[in-house]
Amino acid sequence: MRIIVILGRVLDPRGIVVNPRAGRIFVNREEYILQPADRCALEAALRIKEAVGAEVVALPRTLLPDDDVLRQALATGADRAVYIAGQPAALPDDGLMARVLLAAIERLGGADLILTGATTMDTGQGQLGPRLAEALGWPQIVGAWTAEVADGRVRAVRQDGGSFVWVEAPLPAVVTFVPGALKPRYPDGRRLINIYKGVGEIAAALERWEAKDLVAPEALTPMLERRGQDFPPERERGVRLSGTPEEMARAAADALRARLPR
Amino acid sequence: MDASFLDLLMAQQEEVTEAEGGGGIWVVADVVNGAVAPVTLEAIGAARNLAGALGAYVYAVLLGDGVSDLAATLYQAGADGVRVADHPALASFAVEPYLEVLVDLFQAEGPEVILFGATPQGQELAPRVAQRLGGGLIEHATAMTLDEATRTVQAAVPIYGGEYFEIVACPQARPQVLTVEPGAFPAPFMDPYRKGEPKSIEVAPVEPRVRVLGPAGDFTPPSVPLAQAPVIVAAGRQAGDFGLVEKLAAALGGRVAGDRGARDAGWIGPEQIIDVRGVTVAPKVYVAVGIRGDTFHNAAIENSRFILAIHPDPTAPIFRVADLCIEADPREVLPALLQALGA
Repeated sequence: MRIIVILGRVLDPRGIVVNPRAGRIFVNREEYILQPADRCALEAALRIKEAVGAEVVALPRTLLPDDDVLRQALATGADRAVYIAGQPAALPDDGLMARVLLAAIERLGGADLILTGATTMDTGQGQLGPRLAEALGWPQIVGAWTAEVADGRVRAVRQDGGSFVWVEAPLPAVVTFVPGALKPRYPDGRRLINIYKGVGEIAAALERWEAKDLVAPEALTPMLERRGQDFPPERERGVRLSGTPEEMARAAADALRARLPR
Repeated sequence: MDASFLDLLMAQQEEVTEAEGGGGIWVVADVVNGAVAPVTLEAIGAARNLAGALGAYVYAVLLGDGVSDLAATLYQAGADGVRVADHPALASFAVEPYLEVLVDLFQAEGPEVILFGATPQGQELAPRVAQRLGGGLIEHATAMTLDEATRTVQAAVPIYGGEYFEIVACPQARPQVLTVEPGAFPAPFMDPYRKGEPKSIEVAPVEPRVRVLGPAGDFTPPSVPLAQAPVIVAAGRQAGDFGLVEKLAAALGGRVAGDRGARDAGWIGPEQIIDVRGVTVAPKVYVAVGIRGDTFHNAAIENSRFILAIHPDPTAPIFRVADLCIEADPREVLPALLQALGA
């Protein structure tokens, strides 16, 4: 069985400061981390590999300037990773990337299961998994918390309103994970050093393909175009409510309801 | 008098008629508990604004079982035409049956723009519709404008949950598919006199491939560390009744914490102290109940998205960092707040 995990990177939000008044984003520390949801997908793939045996292949979510994300996946336990080199887009473009990944999956010789994150931390994009499922004609389980494979089927826990339900789909299938769904393991130190030093079998497991060899040049035209930035209005602090406790409570309840995460 | 002059005047309004020839802005309705979801009405309102500039009609698609009566709501919200797929096979949401109905419809109608709510249903369907039709997809739109020269919708999408927004467009790919963030657009004026005749769609039942097996009673999601909790209700020395604080946290789906005063009172453990020497937090909602707000506490919560503070002392430093301040005894406000939240 072959499991493909699609992984992306995100600028660590702890390193950036957004100043709405200046209309600028200050990057104090440019450090990239694995997309939290994609990291859960990798963990799920490794758990399935341990349970039923599988080859785990890591592919990138976007065209990346370097292959750190994939080296990290290999060090964590993936068997093979393919770095797809190409011109990175200004914004993550899942429509474009779906075309590239489809070609890459075909060149790999197909897969039984594709795992990725259900949403990205920065742009909130969740279209890559469903787009791949549609193009491949596979079923999809979006927003899984855990997944297991048995008898040619994948079973996953998904949130349904306020409760959790088990769902099942026949393989091959696409499953996307919510951030924080699983406690991810850390990369193995020795494997990590070997990958960066280019030593041993693990270093040979990282391949490099060119995006332009996978798809026609016109397919590499981005679908999304960036037209500008906008900033939320500056916060007005210290707004005092007045009235009876009941009136203040009602106003506070309305304000809370509007801001609670959905 | 039964009806006002205005009512009589409005009642003369003609039925909404549809344009021939395809195109238009299409809104796929979300039905929740037998009613049209508010995000669908907001999307229709947003579509109307675009339609004015685009010179297009607004259509809504309704899928489900026994949902035909809801078409009237969609007309009232501003739809010029409504298509209804009412079939027992569509009773509960599943990707394949819904997708086939929508794709057949859109292939026949050739929409220019398709809007979904950024709900679990919309987020599963929109990418598949976009992929099948070769369209571009912009997710979680919170504002939409039109580039009239190219008839392209430009949408603002939140980055890092709304720290800032990127304005993006799909200039080439058609149709333009967007998911609309719930609550981002104002609800439209519901015109009770706006009526129309919905058209029904033939439904060829498709078996969904993803089966729901049943409730996952044995599953508990991993606990989130306090530092990453999206909602925190924290108590301080003036909180009064800690039981009410716990009830408020439960009502908001949040975690209980406190300052050093709450720890001294024995209400919380040392791992729950919010302080630069304890836990630094950045939740979406932070409620400070009876916390005076010393420098160490206030510095630990300054990255919170929204802070509500309740404290009896008008000079409490917490009011300088809070977005919304209630100068009152928490013992008086909390019962009313719980009631207002329906807890």
